[in-house]
Amino acid sequence: MADVTIAASFELKPGRYPDKSGHDLLRDIIKGALQAWPVGPKDIDGLLVTPSGQAGGAGIDAYIHDKIISEMGIRPTFAETLNAGGATFPMMVHRAAMAIADGRANAVLCISAGKFLKISAGGGEAAKMISEPDLEAPYGTFIPGLYALIASEFMHKRGITKRDLARVAVAERQWALRNPDARMHGAGAIAIEDVLASRPIAWPFNFLDCSIPSEGGGAVLVTRGDLGRKWARQPAYVLGYGEAHPRGTISSPGSLIETGAVQSGAEAFRRAGLSPSDIDVAQLYDAFTSTPLLLLENLKFVDEGGSGEFVQGGGMDPGGTMPVNTYGGLISYGHTGDASGMSVLIEGVRQVMGEAGERQVARADRGLVHCYGGMMFDHVTLILGRES
Amino acid sequence: MSGKLVPEINDVTREYWEGTALGELRLRTCLSCDAKFRFNHGWCPQCGSAELGMEATSGKGTVTNYTVIHVPPYEAYAAEVPYALVLVELDEGVRMMANIVDCDPASVGIGMRVEVTFEERGPVMLPQFRPSN
Ligand SMILES: [Zn+2]
Repeated sequence: MADVTIAASFELKPGRYPDKSGHDLLRDIIKGALQAWPVGPKDIDGLLVTPSGQAGGAGIDAYIHDKIISEMGIRPTFAETLNAGGATFPMMVHRAAMAIADGRANAVLCISAGKFLKISAGGGEAAKMISEPDLEAPYGTFIPGLYALIASEFMHKRGITKRDLARVAVAERQWALRNPDARMHGAGAIAIEDVLASRPIAWPFNFLDCSIPSEGGGAVLVTRGDLGRKWARQPAYVLGYGEAHPRGTISSPGSLIETGAVQSGAEAFRRAGLSPSDIDVAQLYDAFTSTPLLLLENLKFVDEGGSGEFVQGGGMDPGGTMPVNTYGGLISYGHTGDASGMSVLIEGVRQVMGEAGERQVARADRGLVHCYGGMMFDHVTLILGRES
Repeated sequence: MSGKLVPEINDVTREYWEGTALGELRLRTCLSCDAKFRFNHGWCPQCGSAELGMEATSGKGTVTNYTVIHVPPYEAYAAEVPYALVLVELDEGVRMMANIVDCDPASVGIGMRVEVTFEERGPVMLPQFRPSN
């Protein structure tokens, strides 16, 4: 792998920003990042932006990168509006690292803001967007329901229970209590019984199995290694990445639980020359409680069917054998719509850079970030480290 | 009209909806490589051939994935909850989405044997499934 780092990150606190458009939030992120980072517009020669507005119902801006270029006064040699749903964020790092390795850019700003409709409307409208219009959408597709189809196969074939799913929410709440920016920071601890007693949404998911619709966004700066060492006390080195897109709709052929994470994870580990046991901390995209468990299995952190025992034994908790979603996850931190995976990525960066505050894990020499897009269709795995 | 989503009848899909109007669930077949698949495009996803046929299925299959939806995705489905949303593996080896009707949604599970039935939805007869045997 080429000498590439993530030198800085910046994130808005997730919440509700009713008076701001996605573009307004992007401006807030740029202003905040330029104040917080030791770089100016002249240093930035690459730009990757997500099209804000996907879950907001206001229309998608596919030319948002041009507006940002104009407003920032930058003249990048590598720039685009990029979307693969939740997978976009480690994908941005992957694309930026390739551009840097190819000499096309030196410092690439990766930025995203997200708006989110009310949960019920968002679940239906977003489901329409990713469903086959004639063969799926007429059956009343709903985002929690589509994930539930995957979860049902996972539970049936691997012996995972609703209590195992609920335990993920319990662990993520423990992390959120340590993160002042998390939506559920002040909400107190929860038990498995609280999750099981919350109202049913789509079997096997109850209300507390679902992520929290929020608005926000953030940015990271991917740089040439020497720039990362100049701009950051401890940059996060990009050690490996992998990408896979083995299906595009939920009723495509094949098992729903052999996700693209199997392939993208293996590729990332191969490039990094590492194995799952070398990873100290992991951030695994968690729209619902089932997905971190499935990803733990697909990425080979545990054996098939072993994720239930892992989570019940406190493996992903604070102090666990491999902490997972140490910022509270999308389930207790907040799911910022278009920008959700940016939160997952930024926590991976912060842990490796040693910037995670009260929730900093004892050992974070190597961290893994895995995000997917669509209904687990697009997969990107990223491995970060403190040393190249 | 219920306000539920209605499939579009076009050149690619017409033969499929003509079949469901006759009480027949049809699959596309590839005349070059014998692959079977759903109707949603004009080429074979296995070999790329555009020489395609269509044949009737047995209308029988097995539930491979399921959920019971308790929160309506939009107003049109408010009267339907809770409803079962499933993937069915047809005996011909092709998977499709449907609802399971004519039963308590809580009784639906993986491995359940089902058979096709048809729901009038706007201009089409929409394939649905119900428990068989
Ligand atoms: Zn063929």
